[in-house]
Amino acid sequence: MTFLNDIRDYPWTSLLTGLLPARIVSLLPARFQTKTAQIVPSASIAGNALTVVIAIMSFLACLTAGAVYMINQSANAWVNDIASEITIELDPINTADIEKKMTLVSLFLAKQKGVTRVKPLTADDSAKLLEPWLGQTSALAALPIPRLIAVEIDRSNPPDIQLIKTALTQNFEGVTLDDHRRWQAEIKTITRTAALGGLAVLSLVAAATIAVIVSATRSAMASNREIIEVLHFVGANERFISREFERHFLGLGARAGLLGAIAAALAFLILPLMMHVLGGGVVTEAETSRLIGSGELDLWGYVLCLLVALAVAGICMITSRLGVIRVLKSYA
Amino acid sequence: MIRFDNVGLRYGSGPEILRDVTFHVLPGSFHFLTGPSGAGKTTLLRLLFMSLRPSRGLIFVFGENVTDLSASGRSALRRRIGIVFQDFRLLDHLTTWENVALPLRVMGKRESDYKEDVTDLLRWVGLGDRINAYLEILSGGEKQRVATARAVNGRPELLVADEPTGNVDPAIGNRLLRLFVELNRLGTSVIIATHDYALMEQLEAPRLVLYDGHLQMR
Repeated sequence: MTFLNDIRDYPWTSLLTGLLPARIVSLLPARFQTKTAQIVPSASIAGNALTVVIAIMSFLACLTAGAVYMINQSANAWVNDIASEITIELDPINTADIEKKMTLVSLFLAKQKGVTRVKPLTADDSAKLLEPWLGQTSALAALPIPRLIAVEIDRSNPPDIQLIKTALTQNFEGVTLDDHRRWQAEIKTITRTAALGGLAVLSLVAAATIAVIVSATRSAMASNREIIEVLHFVGANERFISREFERHFLGLGARAGLLGAIAAALAFLILPLMMHVLGGGVVTEAETSRLIGSGELDLWGYVLCLLVALAVAGICMITSRLGVIRVLKSYA
Repeated sequence: MIRFDNVGLRYGSGPEILRDVTFHVLPGSFHFLTGPSGAGKTTLLRLLFMSLRPSRGLIFVFGENVTDLSASGRSALRRRIGIVFQDFRLLDHLTTWENVALPLRVMGKRESDYKEDVTDLLRWVGLGDRINAYLEILSGGEKQRVATARAVNGRPELLVADEPTGNVDPAIGNRLLRLFVELNRLGTSVIIATHDYALMEQLEAPRLVLYDGHLQMR
């Protein structure tokens, strides 16, 4: 219950004074202004250099979280696309009339339960799929390019893929069905790897932030030793003293966290432009886009950046509180 | 209220500064603690205020054995004690008013509940025109009065003052003594460490005399 009381009694309005410049704070309604003097002076807490370090940590954390979110979104879109589609491949070798075979297979597929749309791709469509790798060349016409039929399936009432696969093999020669399961598994592996990598980076950033705050708390306490002594003499307990320090670190963390998040948001805003400028040609740009999307974050991505900034502020506050209590215990 | 039983104190492996100190302070009593410079008056007060641990013996403050008291337990007891330090121990970046209000702020009281009381107290100790002044512009005597006002603010159960009239002129000294006596009448026990005989002669009160590390009651 002490923790709940701490939250209730916390001078939250003082956070605004820590976040905003004094000129803006003076324009706020009286209830948002803290008139009580700071027992631990702000100037005695490591200032600008620490703010810059924490802002950089927040920036890196937001970039990582945003990138993982973007890859996850892109992968989900991929998985959704390919899970609602199967591809039928017709081998053109040893087939006298490939167009007729395409029609027969298409009609067969259209009759299957759970199939919503059958789209046979023309020879030109198939050739276009190879263009990014082979370029526009007349040699494509001479190659035995496999013909494809895209089949959309009803995801709420999916067909029995195995049954269709068996039926196709029995009725047609040189026809194979690809349900993209291998791709789905690979995409999921990539997403999971990216998420784990992101988590590792976030853990490192959090550890570095904690180390920096612990060190800053210790030096702040050393330079305010006399104030701590006086507070002890007038009967202040560990909770009161730690709160006097943590309010500075919460303000600092919130300010730096927001700065980092705003910088990361700006980076994500200009990322699509950067991808376009430094894309390395149409093919590379297309590949990058397929892998991580267009480089734009959606609204939830920006909300995630804000949450990361709040987490940074929270880490600063909690670390300083625990740091102060630990040092106070060592004084006793 | 306060009990010292055979208390001894030495720093490290040095000689004992206090030896077999035994005394008892009853609720509502008034004592002077005196002795020559270097006799250990300040050390004894620090023991009483729990900022030092005895090398031997037992100290009871408000019935609690302070030797095995937790940090939060010590804080709770200190809130019941007002102390005036010889070197004032004020916070330079706070105003006079904020320094005096500090114990009440630490107790978690609302500023609106004590605002007038603190101002009145500052007027009483002759600092009515220095309420919003920062300490750097105050004289030693004025700082002494700020420290005294901070100690008596919140009406503690025990007031401990280390040379409270050392830096003030006789008129202000008498005024501070009257403040202590008034507080004592309201039920606060008072211990004043001083070697100002003129001050002690103004009041009929038992004297705890420290000499060569030993304590005698006179």
